[in-house]
Amino acid sequence: MAIHTQVWRAVYGKSADAIEKSVENVDESIRAIICIPRLFPFTFGHVDGLPLSNNVSPTTVANTASLLRIVAFGLISAAAIASRLFAVINFESIIHEFDPWFNYRATRVLAAKGFYEFWNWFDPTAWYPLGRVVGGTVYPGLMATSGVIYNFLHYFNLPVDIRNICVLLAPGFSALTAWATYMFTTEMKDSSAGLLAAAFIGIVPGYISRSVAGSYDNEAIAIFLLMITFYLWIAALKQGSALYGTLAAVFYFYMVAAWGGYAFITNMIPVHALVLLLMGRFSGRLYVAYCSWYAIGTLSSMQVPFVGFQPVRTSEHMGALGVFGLLQIVAFASLVRSHLSSKQFQDLLTVSVISMGLLGAGAFIVMTYKGWIAPWTGRFYSLWDTGYAKKYIPIIASVSEHQPTAWPSFFMDLQFLIFLFPAGVVLCFRDLRDEHVFVIIYAVVASYFAGVMVRLMLTLTPVVCVSAAVALSTLLDIYVDVAEPAVPENENSSANGTGAATADAKKAKKNAAVGSQAGPNAAAAASSTLSDIVNAAKSSSKSSPSKQKGIWGADARLVIILNAIGMLVYFVFHCTWVTANAYSSPSVVLASSNPDGSQHLIDDYREAYYWLRMNTPQDAVVMSWWDYGYQIAGMADRGTLVDNNTWNNTHIATVGKAMSSPEEIAYPILRQHDVDYVLVIFGGLLGYSGDDINKFLWMVRIAQGVWPDEIQEPNYFTPTGEYRVDERASDAMKNSLMYKMSYYRFAELYGNGNAIDRVRNQNIPKIGPTLDYVEEAFTSENWIVRIFKVRKEDPLGRDLKSANAFAQGKKRKRSKPVSRRRAVV
Amino acid sequence: MAPKSASSIKSTSAVQTLFDAYTSQTSSRLKFIDAFLVFLILSGVLQFSYCVLVTNFPFNAFLGGFSSTVGQFVLTASLRSQVNPENKGVYKEVSRERAFADFVFGSIVLHFFVYNFLG
Amino acid sequence: MRATRSLSGTTVSSIFTLLLVLCITLAFGSSATAKSASSTGDSVLVILDSAKKVDYSIFLQGLEAKGYTVTVRSPRDESPLLIEDGLPNFSHVVFLASDTKNFAKDISPQTLVELLTLGTNLVLTLGLKQNLLTSLAPEFSLLLPPPATPLVSFFPERSDSPSVIPIAFDTKSVPNDTFSVLSQVENKIWFSGTPFALSANPLLFPILHAPAESFAADLSDSPGLVADALADAAEKGGEGFWAGSTLSVVAGFQTLIGGGTGHGNDAGPGEDKQSRVVWVGGPSLFSDEFATKKVVEKVETERGKSVVEKPSGNEQAAMDIAGWAFQEHGVLRIDEVKHHKVNQTDAPETYTTNDEIVYTVKISSFNPTTGKWERYSDLKDLQLEFTMLDPHVRTALPAVRGQKGVYSTTFRAPDRHGVFKFVINYKRKGFSHLLHTLIVPVVPPRHDGYPRFLSAAWPYYIGAISTSVGFLLFSAIYLAGEVKEEKKSKKE
Repeated sequence: MAIHTQVWRAVYGKSADAIEKSVENVDESIRAIICIPRLFPFTFGHVDGLPLSNNVSPTTVANTASLLRIVAFGLISAAAIASRLFAVINFESIIHEFDPWFNYRATRVLAAKGFYEFWNWFDPTAWYPLGRVVGGTVYPGLMATSGVIYNFLHYFNLPVDIRNICVLLAPGFSALTAWATYMFTTEMKDSSAGLLAAAFIGIVPGYISRSVAGSYDNEAIAIFLLMITFYLWIAALKQGSALYGTLAAVFYFYMVAAWGGYAFITNMIPVHALVLLLMGRFSGRLYVAYCSWYAIGTLSSMQVPFVGFQPVRTSEHMGALGVFGLLQIVAFASLVRSHLSSKQFQDLLTVSVISMGLLGAGAFIVMTYKGWIAPWTGRFYSLWDTGYAKKYIPIIASVSEHQPTAWPSFFMDLQFLIFLFPAGVVLCFRDLRDEHVFVIIYAVVASYFAGVMVRLMLTLTPVVCVSAAVALSTLLDIYVDVAEPAVPENENSSANGTGAATADAKKAKKNAAVGSQAGPNAAAAASSTLSDIVNAAKSSSKSSPSKQKGIWGADARLVIILNAIGMLVYFVFHCTWVTANAYSSPSVVLASSNPDGSQHLIDDYREAYYWLRMNTPQDAVVMSWWDYGYQIAGMADRGTLVDNNTWNNTHIATVGKAMSSPEEIAYPILRQHDVDYVLVIFGGLLGYSGDDINKFLWMVRIAQGVWPDEIQEPNYFTPTGEYRVDERASDAMKNSLMYKMSYYRFAELYGNGNAIDRVRNQNIPKIGPTLDYVEEAFTSENWIVRIFKVRKEDPLGRDLKSANAFAQGKKRKRSKPVSRRRAVV
Repeated sequence: MAPKSASSIKSTSAVQTLFDAYTSQTSSRLKFIDAFLVFLILSGVLQFSYCVLVTNFPFNAFLGGFSSTVGQFVLTASLRSQVNPENKGVYKEVSRERAFADFVFGSIVLHFFVYNFLG
Repeated sequence: MRATRSLSGTTVSSIFTLLLVLCITLAFGSSATAKSASSTGDSVLVILDSAKKVDYSIFLQGLEAKGYTVTVRSPRDESPLLIEDGLPNFSHVVFLASDTKNFAKDISPQTLVELLTLGTNLVLTLGLKQNLLTSLAPEFSLLLPPPATPLVSFFPERSDSPSVIPIAFDTKSVPNDTFSVLSQVENKIWFSGTPFALSANPLLFPILHAPAESFAADLSDSPGLVADALADAAEKGGEGFWAGSTLSVVAGFQTLIGGGTGHGNDAGPGEDKQSRVVWVGGPSLFSDEFATKKVVEKVETERGKSVVEKPSGNEQAAMDIAGWAFQEHGVLRIDEVKHHKVNQTDAPETYTTNDEIVYTVKISSFNPTTGKWERYSDLKDLQLEFTMLDPHVRTALPAVRGQKGVYSTTFRAPDRHGVFKFVINYKRKGFSHLLHTLIVPVVPPRHDGYPRFLSAAWPYYIGAISTSVGFLLFSAIYLAGEVKEEKKSKKE
């Protein structure tokens, strides 16, 4: 342990500067970004106000603007990447959590054996003995990405370890996400808002939580793909270009290959198209963009083996198909209309619309009824009814990230952006172009989903960043613009103007904070600064447009700007703090602090996994609750019964039953599944609350779902309905394999003192449970991981309980026939 | 029933006028595109009916074939609306050449996926 | 350790111990070369009062003649130890000290069971009094009558005490699939001791039944009371009465191989060793007295009944019982397991669903006369299971004609992917258990393993191709039109 600390200190000592540096980076870049809108007016922006501008040629202005943009963008990327490296600096370059371990293992297979072998990879160690067809049950986008990067680097003789690629993939892609968000927001407003949005998404904790270095999960690249697909969709829609539509489809394909959340895009875009249709905004552009995206995107998405024919078979995808069909009809109708008089058209329309509608609805019902189209899946239902999962599919409800979001986490993940977010959405209503409709829909839908599931906070984050950036940059545009509103020639309006401007200033200030209706007049006057500059510079000959409205006086500006800067700076500190403290823990290595404040690393997981790797046969099978399946496979390289890919509920229930049954019932299950070792996580000694006893009720619930006659949840509570582990624990609880393994010899540790479970703060009985069918094989330093070996059958064919009793010298009771025998006197 | 039959009479006359208007107003280039569209529709209908009436056994092949016609159809339809002089105002940023280039690009991507899917 | 222990004893005994240990280690070390009839080792420890050694000289000499090294240890001697440093010192242990009450520390029921797990074979003889074996017997599912109730029988009429009984071995009492231990014993076997009942444990089987007329009773009281008790019991239909041929006097027990998960060492028998135990109702079965005692029979001849004296079958029975216990007879093993696809020779890493699999196993039996393993083809009911949680395939594994000891079968893998096990689990009473598990994954077909171009799909292929061709033609004509238009516009 001492060595560990020393090594770590050495690392830490070196890296302390790096942390500061990264903090500085974040700060610096943020300031730079904040400065940009400010800088521009002061240096070049005074086309109308200052004489300086006359000396600068328009191209120079444009070039400098783009140069600054590039520099700012570089800083944003650096900040985004640097702040995600806390995990590597504080701990080490290690894969985090659970799912990433599988992704990492899969990537290693892909890198070592090539794509075709990966595609056909059948993993016999997972879900033993069912095995898992990995190639057909995985979203291969993430692994393929790393594989391509790996091969690319190796082609250039850069022998980078595959692990480092995996660890650093998420930070790398976060920079790309920033870029995609920039492009997206630029389409919404202008490039200064885009830069702000890019900066926000770069450091916002809501996104960092899923993309720190080592968090090698699908989401790492999926958010980038989400944003780029949306950007391309908007671009396609704006221009009516099949090119962008096709590109959107290609990235959609990538997204489908990368993340199950692709269904979000699959429904967002059709909803957008549908809303536009209903708003009467149908145009050829919409037709071109949507149809090219849908036709190619759907076809390509079916190439992913895991998705298969779902896009034409399941209800989740039917909306997209329906909108596609509707667009064909509308397009045809509009073509016909162009050739016909309105009266005739009306007649034709009514007949065709009625018949088409009846036909379509009938076909959908018939197909669902006949089972050609699968009904909604359970996970989808749980999105609408938060209680659904708990009732019918405990396995989904048992995942912590599927729980409803607690409100503080909104603030934790988004900080002041959450306040700006509604303001930005409201601002979208102002000119309400097609793309603004998209943002509004996105905001509404994502807010709802984020409230339902913690995990979906991730999809909300980008739109929050975009709208917040729009709101903030609108605010800054007004207040930074040095051009004072021109004194109107008209005395009449002058008086009004002054009044209005001050009123507006107040209003705008209030709006920014509270997020109510933004001062429309003021904001409308000051349209995008950057484009203004460029436009103005381009047409320097043009007489400067006299501003009717604006802000007078430096004091009013200063208050607002300082306030805004203050919030931004505070945001940066918040993000840095949250990232460093909350989201950088790999959860494989736990950190606690010593009494003297120094950091103490708890490395029980790896200790135990390493023990498994070194001390058990290569093909041994380890049973544990499914949370640890991927880690055991990844770190210990041993077979597992169930893992985090929770595809087979029955198998998981089997494990749940084995854990919650008494030993003699569990033993045949263990033997049938060829289990060699059982692994449990126990936090009672250290106070580590994420242990198996706390998850135990889920095991009981899931097992109860399959064997309601044998396992009943109420049996595990005390008669008064408490969940206890001390003397008053129920019999079912005390006899369960899980309880026995967790507390086996726990009381001995305390000698004569009271054995206290520090998680549940309860006294453990002095005489602990005994084990007959499994024997303790390994317990880690802090007792977090305990491994038990499953014993073989007794050579004399006795049950192991009586065999153990015999070995301990206990005399067996005289056998039955004696009592039946009549004494012969 | 009566109003419906009346409307159908009306609509037949509407179809008549529609046809006349179409032949007179459409340029030959658009007519050529329309011819291609009709060919695609026919091909699609044939495949769909084969699927429904005979077999959908290699479902991927059906999807491949059918979506190739559908995809090609919508891409061509897009091209048609982009090059239609009436729609000039709608597509400010898409010139005729650009439209055709987009069309070709989209089609190539489409066919790439189609053939990947067929076998 | 050995040195310290010998220091504590007297010098003489310590030297003796050292010598003995040396002898044993020598004997043990050379067991590979020494010629004995057992398949597991030559060294035999007989736990017996050294004073009584002469009583069993025929049996002990018979063992030595078969090539065994026999060591006799008195029950209260501290050495030689049964288990030393976790390893057994002897391959076989014969327990003849049935009347002894107190034993040295290391002779306990627990050590005896531990010996079994270490692969040592045991012959255990029960006495009339309670001793350690009385508490051990229930662990083997033996049910003993109360202490001091020997087997008695008043038939056939004879001059001996009713508790000394001649028992004829009936070959028909042995089921077909059970190894017949005493098949070579032709004469009646003298028995005196305790009978026992066998409860339903598949590992336990009777070798010699008690005669139908016999019962367990304490005859030290007056015979009249016995008669009363008999009558009483007869009224109750014999319930709870220790009598008849359901009781056994000799029973065999074959220990179970645990495991069979197929992982690591657990693939075959692995480190688990099989051992055998024989329970005998009394030690006198092995004694010189019974070996030489004649059996007097009345034989019906044409001239009426005549009395014939025949030699007893005890000597032969003792050797056969020890021979079975010491794993001379009925010892089988799996030499080699091979599996591959039809028309191939090497075992693949994985099978694909619906593959035709050939599974071959070679089985040998130990021949005690030559001391060699020989290929064995006589198993009629060998089965192979292809298991994932449950057996998906269970098929007979017949012997291949013309190839001695080879059993083979061909079957189709199920249409189900997963990790399967080839399992041979052959357990017959009196024979060594055959247990072999081999893990093999069965995977779904590769992505290019499915049929690629199907005739049914031709319309779709044509559709796709026609679309592509149409697209090319269309593009060409369209471009041509474009050029024409340009020309036109230029001309204009």
